[in-house]
Amino acid sequence: MSKFTKEMVDSYANKLLFNLTEEENQMVLDEFEVIDETIDLINKIDGIDKLEPMTHALDAFVVDLREDIAEESIELKGALRNAGAVEGREIEVPKVVE
Amino acid sequence: MIDKSILEIHEALKNGVITSEKLVGESLNKSREIQEKYNAFVTIVDDAKGIDVTDSLVSGIPFGVKDNFSTKDILTTGSSNTLNNYVPIFNATAVEKLLNAGAVITNKTVLDEFGLGGTGTTGHTGVVKNPWDRIRMCAGSSSGSACAVAAGVYPFALGSDTGDSVRKPAAYCGIVGYKPTYGMISRFGLFPFASSLDHVGVLTRNVEDAAIVTDIMKGKDPHDMTSWDSSNIHLKEALTGNVKDKKLFYIKELCDINNYNNPSKELVDHLENFHKTLELCKELGIEISEESVDQKILDAIDSVYLIIACAEATSNLSNLTSIIYGPRSDKKNINEMMIDYRTKGFSPLIKRRLVIGSYVLQKENQERYFKNAQKLRRLIVDIMKEFFKTYDGLILPVGIGPAKHLDGSLDKVSSDTVALDEHLQIGNFGGFPSITIPNGFINNLPVGINITGNCFEDENVLNLAYVLESKMPYKNQIAKEVN
Repeated sequence: MSKFTKEMVDSYANKLLFNLTEEENQMVLDEFEVIDETIDLINKIDGIDKLEPMTHALDAFVVDLREDIAEESIELKGALRNAGAVEGREIEVPKVVE
Repeated sequence: MIDKSILEIHEALKNGVITSEKLVGESLNKSREIQEKYNAFVTIVDDAKGIDVTDSLVSGIPFGVKDNFSTKDILTTGSSNTLNNYVPIFNATAVEKLLNAGAVITNKTVLDEFGLGGTGTTGHTGVVKNPWDRIRMCAGSSSGSACAVAAGVYPFALGSDTGDSVRKPAAYCGIVGYKPTYGMISRFGLFPFASSLDHVGVLTRNVEDAAIVTDIMKGKDPHDMTSWDSSNIHLKEALTGNVKDKKLFYIKELCDINNYNNPSKELVDHLENFHKTLELCKELGIEISEESVDQKILDAIDSVYLIIACAEATSNLSNLTSIIYGPRSDKKNINEMMIDYRTKGFSPLIKRRLVIGSYVLQKENQERYFKNAQKLRRLIVDIMKEFFKTYDGLILPVGIGPAKHLDGSLDKVSSDTVALDEHLQIGNFGGFPSITIPNGFINNLPVGINITGNCFEDENVLNLAYVLESKMPYKNQIAKEVN
């Protein structure tokens, strides 16, 4: 595992489609250092490696599948209501292939 | 009348002492007054109208909705600039059930942006101030809901709770904050933050009101596959006042003042007050025991929470592109549009959290961070479930004292964080029912106590809180500014 660096922070921010200021970048590193130290402590807890990761709040979770019955979907007007740019029945987007 | 309990208001409505129209007017006027002082609302629903009252206990009664619950035809922003113009076309299930029961929305309340914060300072409409003392915070993320209920705008408001977002603001504002067992209330229409930890909750001024509102909101919802059938649970009816043979425990490492280096006067007083409340429990016939939990595990709670919550949030907030909703950027290239929108729209806190979430999810980092956090989550929940075989619940003080000062209240991960300030997250790890009630004052500011029980034991947890509340003089209190 490589150390979390300033360049990596910017790279992740870039993949997440936003930019960070220098100050924000440094704060990520400072905060992550605290998390990293705690992870070192977690790794020292007896038997941690044998535990199953908990992915859901309820272990007794039961999945009931709904009956496959067709339902009304939202109306076109509603679907387009919050889009910033609309043309006819469609949401307008910038050209993606130059 | 608007500052009374649900049952008192209901009776007055049924007897014709007051009308729903008048109540709604009172709530709207109070909302405007509170907004000036504490900035609790994103939207005040000026055209809210009273209704014909039915036998439903909340019928005709105004309430507030945290601004991360979808409300049909009412602006719903998540307190984020990324959705500052979003008007949903449907109601969240919890909201819909209350509207069907006749309750009336009078405002949408401010939160920390998308619920990722605990200070009430990161919402796009500005800082929410504490109604007991304006230089202090309400905590978060259900800051506006807690502020408004404490200030007497209405008897209840909706909140969501991913770490402690209902239960800590309740303590800081001197009211009741309850989140039921995970999935008892549908999350459909609640903006997702960390799906395995997110709960719908409610803020009220007494335990009975919390039971009444939750009885209405709960139930299996075909739109939320994690909701479950709770038709055999009747929270209001379960408030019997009988706590004979009930057993609670507290965690020694969190509640012993000798475990703290140079404790503040507020912390000393807070823990002293907590132990006085334990004595009161004993007088009521509740057995109280001290138990021990490894300090290393307690100290890791906050990091476990952050890693899991940030990772899940990274996925949940990826739909914010500005294309199908949100203010559009004027950039011409689609990538630049999204970068511009997300850079300008997200607060610095959200951006930091998402970067951390993304990092811990990378294949090469997953085992060390994400999987280990999930394993420790399992260990903590297993420890609690073992205790719940003996005890009806865990009782602990909320936070390290009364509301913190707003000045310098950066929501930042820090090595100074103490487990006492973060333990409510255990309730989210295990999906446990958990309620905060006020249990006193320090420096004239309210402090709270929390009771958390095993999953599906909501009736038991609420009844314990109900009995304890009845023996303390803080039920139904309205905030009074002390400074």
